[in-house]
Amino acid sequence: MRIALIGNQNSGKTSLFNVLTGNNQKVGNWPGVTIERKVGLLRTTTHEVIDLPGIYSLSPFSPEETIVRRFLLEEHVDLIINIVDSTAIERSLYLTTQLYDFKIPMIVALNMSDLALEQGIRIDIDKLQSLLKLPVVPVSALKRTGIKEMINLIKEVTLDEPEYPAIYQGALNEEIAKLSEKITLKERLFIACKLLEGDRNFPIHLVLNVDDSITKLTNEYQNDIPQIVADQRYQFIERVRDLSVSSRENPKTLTDKIDRIILNKYLAIPIFILIMFSVYFLAAGPVGGYLTSLIESLFVWINVQFSGFLVDVGASPWAISLLVDGVLTGVGSILNFVPQLVILFLLIALLEASGYMSRIAFFFDRIFRKAGLSGKALIPFIIGSGCSVPAIMATRTINDENEKRLTVLLTPFIPCSAKLPIITLFAGYFFKDNVGIVSASLYFLAVIIILGTALVMKRFIYKGTYSPFIQELPTYKAPNLQYVVRSTFEKTWAFMTRAGSIIFLASITIWLLLSFNWQFQYGVAIDQSILSDVGRLFSWLFYPFLGTNSWAAGVSIIQGLVAKEQVITSLSIIAGLSDGAASHTIFTSPLFTFFTPASAYAFMAFNLFSAPCFGAIGAMHKEFGSAKKMLKAVLIQTTVAFLIATLIFQFGRLLEVIL
Amino acid sequence: MDHIYTLSEIKRGQKVRVLKINGGDLALKQRLLDMGITTGVMITLNKVAPLGDPICIELRGYRLLVRKDDVRHVEIEVIK
Repeated sequence: MRIALIGNQNSGKTSLFNVLTGNNQKVGNWPGVTIERKVGLLRTTTHEVIDLPGIYSLSPFSPEETIVRRFLLEEHVDLIINIVDSTAIERSLYLTTQLYDFKIPMIVALNMSDLALEQGIRIDIDKLQSLLKLPVVPVSALKRTGIKEMINLIKEVTLDEPEYPAIYQGALNEEIAKLSEKITLKERLFIACKLLEGDRNFPIHLVLNVDDSITKLTNEYQNDIPQIVADQRYQFIERVRDLSVSSRENPKTLTDKIDRIILNKYLAIPIFILIMFSVYFLAAGPVGGYLTSLIESLFVWINVQFSGFLVDVGASPWAISLLVDGVLTGVGSILNFVPQLVILFLLIALLEASGYMSRIAFFFDRIFRKAGLSGKALIPFIIGSGCSVPAIMATRTINDENEKRLTVLLTPFIPCSAKLPIITLFAGYFFKDNVGIVSASLYFLAVIIILGTALVMKRFIYKGTYSPFIQELPTYKAPNLQYVVRSTFEKTWAFMTRAGSIIFLASITIWLLLSFNWQFQYGVAIDQSILSDVGRLFSWLFYPFLGTNSWAAGVSIIQGLVAKEQVITSLSIIAGLSDGAASHTIFTSPLFTFFTPASAYAFMAFNLFSAPCFGAIGAMHKEFGSAKKMLKAVLIQTTVAFLIATLIFQFGRLLEVIL
Repeated sequence: MDHIYTLSEIKRGQKVRVLKINGGDLALKQRLLDMGITTGVMITLNKVAPLGDPICIELRGYRLLVRKDDVRHVEIEVIK
């Protein structure tokens, strides 16, 4: 049996899916879009459960709605579980009335019924069942109540074509009935209704001539059909509500109390700054820094033990150097940062799960809009603090093509998790007493750059059309810990796998290029190596913001294309090989003593804002659909980074001279 | 005929009833209808964003964030 899980956004659909399926999940993508497609097996059965994207309606105007429509029209579904949010029952049932038209057996899972009770909403389940003519099960996906009943009900459910209540009235009903007779499919009611609404997104043989019916109905109701249909659906729902739901007038909820502070006219933005500052202060500042230093000393110890072991077994010097100075130093320099990333991922996941994110969109929308972006662009930006690749793919939910392109261009400006090591390393050494402030300042710099670039680009290159901002304000929720832990683990694991694959290979490669000269002689001085010559080819490019021609810094910056954390790996390996006895601090190596606070800050800024890694560039290519547009965007990013870095350095140097 | 009020003009403490949605972009209109802004529905203003726009309105027992510009085609009558 195939079961489709359908419901509004924020209805707790994914939590319910997790509870119903346990760990039997397969995650993929819907064809053509990067919206996640999750399939699992219902606990204790072989029934397949498909988690469909969260939607409010089946209109063809958003990618999520289109996916659910196509799924219901084209694939076989035996049973629909429709999740209804008890705290917003009217709006939730609107989707239910549309699902009726597919004539597929359906069960309503009444989620968050405990929360509704707290808000003074009482729902008569028996009454609701008989009015909706389908089984209704109260559940709490968070507290895992009602799940057993749900599963038992699914096992017993009859799969005959159901008899649902009539939604359409009067002339509209007659026209829909007349039209649906001409359609032989099971979902004829849905198609007939949508055709009358003016929706033509159906295979050509289903598009009948409905112009006469439309004119007739429009004249009769003195209104257009989408409005008549929506009115009648909500009239049905209001009847159901009046008979089965009772609620106290305007109860003061916890959400109201919290929002009075969080969304306060004067406090909202200071609180936002404080929250983001705390996130990065905890991750990059003293707490994360301390944990990282612990791991660092562990790696130093492993380094010493391992090289000792290699000497004991009689390994040749080049092999020891490859494994210790290349692989271990390279991979270790990245794994050091795992504790900081765990903190970052954990805090972001907590914010995501609490409902704070949609509030950020609420109070920043005005600013974003001025820059030609909608609140929707905020989602890729927030995902981008983890990794730019999924963030760039998330821009597909933006309907307007120009706004989407602009968002794709801007998303890599957000410092992703791979850039965090660069920030902590440099800020930790050059701004010891102000690590938190300096790291947070880079994030605010990113926001300023994003808005500034957007303003300029909107005017000249990506002239966007207008897209609306209509969004539900969800109630605050105690974060679902299972979700938070899972999300943190997945992101951390992805980072560690990258250290074991890409960084591992890149470490070996740069060790080779550093240890040999063009005649392939091993053991040459580092500034005669192949890599140093390659670096000298480019180093002049970075002179304006480093204040010196450094091949070592130059090659490291370029390696950021492979992966941003590779910059640190490269600096570590070069530093380690240059002073032979590996002092384990990059900045005491003679090759890097030129760094001053000003050039350190400029170096961070350039790495943060210049062309992203190949992975992200690939994602940009895919979203732009053309190599030329992608190259143009990468060029814009790098130019912006170059200008900002140079400005910072020149200004900072001036300050250094004065102070 | 007096001034025609629209949802973008809703004020704190007011309770309004929606009459109909006049014109505007088709997708925008459908989205407003889908979110429950249909004829006869009662709406109150819950809060205004710190920068004056968007606004948070309350209808059908839940809260919806909308830009004033997006609801300027929604015709209303002020009840209270």
